[in-house]
Amino acid sequence: MLFQPAIMALLLVDAITLALLLPAALFAIQLLRHWDRNSGHARQIRLERRTALVTTGVALLSGVQGLALLLLVFTADALSVQFVGAMCAVGSFNVNAWGFPALLLRMALFFFAAAWLVMHHLDRQARDYPLIRARHALLLVIAPVALLAVLAQLAWFLGLRSDVITSCCGSLFSPGGATVAAELAALSPLPAMVGFYLVLGATLLVGAYYWRRRRGLTLFALLGSAAFPVAIAAVIAFVSLYIYEHPHHHCPFCLLKAEYGYIGYGLYLPLFGASAIAFGLGLTRPFAHIGSLRQVMAAAVPRVVGIATALFLLFTLLVAWISWHSNLILLS
Amino acid sequence: MSVVVELIGVRKAFHEGRPGELWAVDGIDLAVAPGQVTVFTGPSGSGKTTLLTLIGCLARPTEGRIRLDGEEVSGLPERFVTDLRRRTFGFVFQQFNLIRGLSVLENVMLPAYPLAPHYPALRRRAERLLAHFGLGPRRDAQVEWLSGGEAQRTAIARALINDPPVVIADEPTANLDSQLSTAFLDIVAELRDQGRTVLLTSHDPLVYEAPVVDRIVAVRDGRLVS
Repeated sequence: MLFQPAIMALLLVDAITLALLLPAALFAIQLLRHWDRNSGHARQIRLERRTALVTTGVALLSGVQGLALLLLVFTADALSVQFVGAMCAVGSFNVNAWGFPALLLRMALFFFAAAWLVMHHLDRQARDYPLIRARHALLLVIAPVALLAVLAQLAWFLGLRSDVITSCCGSLFSPGGATVAAELAALSPLPAMVGFYLVLGATLLVGAYYWRRRRGLTLFALLGSAAFPVAIAAVIAFVSLYIYEHPHHHCPFCLLKAEYGYIGYGLYLPLFGASAIAFGLGLTRPFAHIGSLRQVMAAAVPRVVGIATALFLLFTLLVAWISWHSNLILLS
Repeated sequence: MSVVVELIGVRKAFHEGRPGELWAVDGIDLAVAPGQVTVFTGPSGSGKTTLLTLIGCLARPTEGRIRLDGEEVSGLPERFVTDLRRRTFGFVFQQFNLIRGLSVLENVMLPAYPLAPHYPALRRRAERLLAHFGLGPRRDAQVEWLSGGEAQRTAIARALINDPPVVIADEPTANLDSQLSTAFLDIVAELRDQGRTVLLTSHDPLVYEAPVVDRIVAVRDGRLVS
């Protein structure tokens, strides 16, 4: 099972990720202990030189994490034809106990990596490394998450057996179950819609307000981060029903299939991108009092918030369009 | 236009921690006043050129700090150093380092890129500089056809294309006869009169004993000689 192009590509990404990230984490410990911008000591100069190299590597692998997450889901979906009982990525992830942990850890890695990129984007515009400690402290969070994600994914790949009969989305996202997925599937469409449009609407309003007035960044970061679980709940609770035009099919993975025009990618790409930016801004916000960063943020953050708001708007409009054009009537 | 250059405990090693380790600059504290002509003297291998490359942000110290107008610049991220170098320094190298195959005018315009103003404005500025240094008729000549004096004046014009407050020249008269060296010193006086800081290395008495020189800094074995 390992010798498939997509799996080989994912293993290669993992090898590169660990090869770059683990030394970077060790370097981060050194930097957090010894960094002193006012010192002219040889050790400080070495840290300044090496941080340029380490940052380049980490920026590269952080950028790749989005593609790796996409490839993982695509691979799981493509593998589903090889397992009895699997009809989409859910079936593949359910082949053994490591599938969903691998997916969730990969998602966590994506969000942390994206947050690191937001910090890096702001930090590199200042002359005095205002976020260098925060960025390297974040590396110490990212490295163990990456290690766990790689190990979980490897365990999933190694445990893929085509003779296993797996259960698919029909059972996982069935309202009668005792899992979180089942509870989300059991949500009534109306409260799910109200919650979704309230949170997304508030996020869009605060984003627009920040764009015009340069105020409300913390609230935007909080709402934008909260929008992600709310949106996923909405996808399971009612968006998927509208897409499948079936009142009991709640799967958020079948949306990625060709039968539905790959609409899932259109939904998830803006949602993940916008939420990750909001999350990154939230992690950066506590450092905004640093003099040079304040200037940088005043100049750069409106554009970043603008991009995130545009992506949230795209996602919301797409959900509204899907709901409007579906032949399924959920609300009379 | 004027820039104060400060060096604090600056050291520079080559092959650090490996066989053949060499400390080319070994603990220099120095402040260079703006708008003055300073000449670094000393025998070959004393560290003069390394010192100029450090001041000009062409290399970074192994230890110590360099400040320009109070701002610490030796630890700036590379993207800022590139911009600072472009805006602050003009370089005249010992071998002039003109790009063969390009004309005099093209060589002079080259350091303005990639942030050059509109081409006609840049070209006018380059032509003014060439005319000022008596190179107007030679602007379309290939640089490999130039005499030593012409090549040096082209290099000076090129160093001034971004209107830098600091001009750095490494052994600028090493390949010139006395007459051309004197002409060069006239240009140095003119640069000083414009308010620019001029930093030279030389072991030519004609240069460091010239009246235009405000300060002589002797260097030996990477250290300042008191």
